[in-house]
Amino acid sequence: MTLPNTTSTERAGLLLRAWPLQLLPWAVSAAIVGYAFIVGGYVATVIAFALVYVVFVTGLNLFMGFANQVSFGQNAFAGLGGYASAILTTTYNWPVLPAMIAGIVLAVVIALIIGYPTLRLKGHYLAMATLAIGLITYEIAVEWQSMTQGYLGISGIPPLGIGSYEIISDRGQLAILSIVALLAVFIAARIKSSRMGRAFLALGASENAALALGINVSRTKLIAFLTAAAFAALAGALFVHVVGYVSPEVFGLHMVILGFTMLYVGGIGSIAGPLIGALLISLLPEVLRGFKDYQDLFYGTALILLLIYAPRGLAAFFERRERTGSAS
Amino acid sequence: MQGRHYAAFAAAGFAAVLTASAANAQETYKIGISAGLTGYAATVDRAWRDGVELAAAAINAKGGVNGRKLEVIVEDNRSEPQEAVTVYRKMLTSDKVNIFISGCVSAGNFAAAGLVVRAQVPMVLCSILPQQPDQVKWAFSTLPPAGFEITKRYEYLKNKTNIRKVGVLHDPTPYANLQKGVAEKAAAEYGIEVVGVEQYKQDDADLSVQIAKMQAAGAGAILKIGLGGTTLTAAKNIKQLGSNLLLLTSLEDIAVFKPVADVLGDKFFFVASPSQVFDALPDGALKTEIGRFLKPWHAKFTDRDPNWASRGWDGVMLTVAAIEKAKSFDGPAVRDALEQLTGFQGTTGVYNMSATVHQGLTVNPFFIATIANGKPKVVE
Amino acid sequence: MTAAPARILETQALTARYGHVQALSAADIHVCAGELVAVLGPNGAGKSTLLRAILGLASTTGTASFHGEPLPRQDPVAVSSRGVVLVPEGRGIFGPMTVSENLQLGAYRLRGDKAEYGRRLARVLALFPRLGERLSQTAGSMSGGEQQMLAIGRALMSDPKILLLDEPSLGLAPRVIAEIMEKLALLRDEGLPILLVEQKAPAALKLAQRAYVLVLGRIVACLDPRDLSSHDDLAKYYFH
Repeated sequence: MTLPNTTSTERAGLLLRAWPLQLLPWAVSAAIVGYAFIVGGYVATVIAFALVYVVFVTGLNLFMGFANQVSFGQNAFAGLGGYASAILTTTYNWPVLPAMIAGIVLAVVIALIIGYPTLRLKGHYLAMATLAIGLITYEIAVEWQSMTQGYLGISGIPPLGIGSYEIISDRGQLAILSIVALLAVFIAARIKSSRMGRAFLALGASENAALALGINVSRTKLIAFLTAAAFAALAGALFVHVVGYVSPEVFGLHMVILGFTMLYVGGIGSIAGPLIGALLISLLPEVLRGFKDYQDLFYGTALILLLIYAPRGLAAFFERRERTGSAS
Repeated sequence: MQGRHYAAFAAAGFAAVLTASAANAQETYKIGISAGLTGYAATVDRAWRDGVELAAAAINAKGGVNGRKLEVIVEDNRSEPQEAVTVYRKMLTSDKVNIFISGCVSAGNFAAAGLVVRAQVPMVLCSILPQQPDQVKWAFSTLPPAGFEITKRYEYLKNKTNIRKVGVLHDPTPYANLQKGVAEKAAAEYGIEVVGVEQYKQDDADLSVQIAKMQAAGAGAILKIGLGGTTLTAAKNIKQLGSNLLLLTSLEDIAVFKPVADVLGDKFFFVASPSQVFDALPDGALKTEIGRFLKPWHAKFTDRDPNWASRGWDGVMLTVAAIEKAKSFDGPAVRDALEQLTGFQGTTGVYNMSATVHQGLTVNPFFIATIANGKPKVVE
Repeated sequence: MTAAPARILETQALTARYGHVQALSAADIHVCAGELVAVLGPNGAGKSTLLRAILGLASTTGTASFHGEPLPRQDPVAVSSRGVVLVPEGRGIFGPMTVSENLQLGAYRLRGDKAEYGRRLARVLALFPRLGERLSQTAGSMSGGEQQMLAIGRALMSDPKILLLDEPSLGLAPRVIAEIMEKLALLRDEGLPILLVEQKAPAALKLAQRAYVLVLGRIVACLDPRDLSSHDDLAKYYFH
């Protein structure tokens, strides 16, 4: 659809022209991260946050883009992962890696307890229920002061690292976050082409049709939910160790709105979408910072233009409509 | 292709922002403000920023400090910790600010404290101080200790009324929690008993349950701790309950109190900072200093509440005093000098910093006031 | 009636309701080995409800049994694992996915058995050669007729023991409908029993052994298509 009309009838020629287009989101992403790596400083901070969001949005994409469900509550699982890791490393002196893993496990267990009854709901009801999960988690983070220190937050959270080796430098953090974000995107791609991933997509296209094929719809939905929760928890844990501080506002509704913006601008349902969406939406306010008071105005205008001219997201710009369907 | 265009535009714009700020290398002393210009802290932080800018202008009008003009760089952190980290980082690496005189979003200041300390840049804050000892070393606060607002109210109850049982009504913010803790601990000193502690949320539309509970427990007055529209809600609820409870609220923008006074009349009292009751102050160093601030403030903002802005003013004046004392603009030198400022007359009181005290207001500067004929009035 | 062959699928007093609305009343139908049975009726007669009731998706009383054993209720996965497979109304193909991926999903319960997968795929492609030409195309970009073929082909990938079709002619040109019906006749002749729900009576009557007429949730007639001299005979049921 968006491919330029080619006069070349040669197949090889078409392939050559199509390939760079598909690779463009990846090339742009690599260029952005590479630029941040070279320049360092404040750009590195912005991109580091963006890479954390790549993980978060990739999980959101599994649940919303592939399985076509709605969740306004993924911030809850980011919060659980982040707080668990923060508390275990500060109050209980756990090493970072096991604490992060514990945070992810906790989030998945809670997602299982919540998801089992909630996912029977459909459409608006599911959306409302997930929104409530996010708000309740926020309240708990505020109120359970003996554990979370409420609004005061937890500071002195150790940086990412393995054993006694801590990654403090901007470039080190950027490197490790790039690896984790790429890994998350790679896992999502593998899931998409797997049997389970096809079940996500089938359920996303039509629940009734999926049922007719013998796909256990409620179980598939639950698995998609748990996977998304695990990604969110990982993002939350990465965040607290990168910043070294956590407070309830970090995982507030703000995170949900940002995640949704990244997902839709990047391209919901595509693999490269969360990557390019997270990077560009993180960069956009910084590019516009020079406009001072008009920053929000330009940001809003840019979003509207993007959604008008790329309604299926930036990644869809570059996707070939006819895919070579090699069965795995 | 729109996509490519956009990417190119983004890259170019980003580069432009960076080079523009790097090229501006005139010799100024740069003050960075991370403030919640939007979001929940907007009212307070906009006032804080205006106070800082007013003070910087006043210093520059006198030729600056040690030969350098002050330059104020403000970034909006949207009252969000993550945004705060980004803007702190931006001001550190792109603007290369010399000091932060940042607003009241404590979570944002805490989140960024680690990297500010690593860059050896001091901070003078509107908010409470961070918790980590290595971070406290570089941070100073113009905020009066949490206990002052409480003990002033206890003093009043003890000396002027025969109420000896009170209820404490607070929101869940860190500062309110600190005050609540003081209220519970310090009560006995004043012969007062706290018969109920109730929490509310900033967006609660009804507080009658909490108030009725405390009244039932025998409270004769309610100490309300926390900002915003809930003060009016509490007042209305007290009136609806037909209660004789006194309401004593914490420091706040005076504008909030006028409708409250309309509801509760002489049963309503609030903690006031010196700049809010300027006319009632006796002549002296405090009044002189506040006068220096209020003159340009009134000229620019007429009768806007001066309380938060006056502390921003103090932040700049403390910094200038430290630079003069250190005879240096160097971060660690200014930090060391800030720590040694004693007997410094600010608009909110006298600051006495030391190695262990970075929240320098050590003498209670507050008054208890009411609204009479639409104007704040100190109660004697 | 011929010498009663084995009844593969049978409903007895099958009744379905949505809230207070009774959408299907005491339906008794059956499908025997080697039969293609049609259920005809106007729009809103309860045809789709009948299929949902058989699959256990509606809240029902009465029974639906398969090979003499009752089919599970509210457990569509278990029903489909017994080989009772629905081609849903509106085809329910997965538009953004390729034809090949759609067919893979048809064999979802097969898991890793590549040999069996290959056998089934060969059978489907032999029946619908056009799908073979379009394997890597996204399903949503195909014509309506091709999509219907894909829907049937995808159902066949699960190796059904009986096929339930809900209005496969919907929105298709007469020429295409004829082609689809021809393929269904082929499947029936290979020994796959078929229950075909249709609004377009003529096309269905051409190949059905037996046709039930469903009006306002009730089976009002069971006909032998050969006995129908003209379609006016059918119309009298619709408009009685």
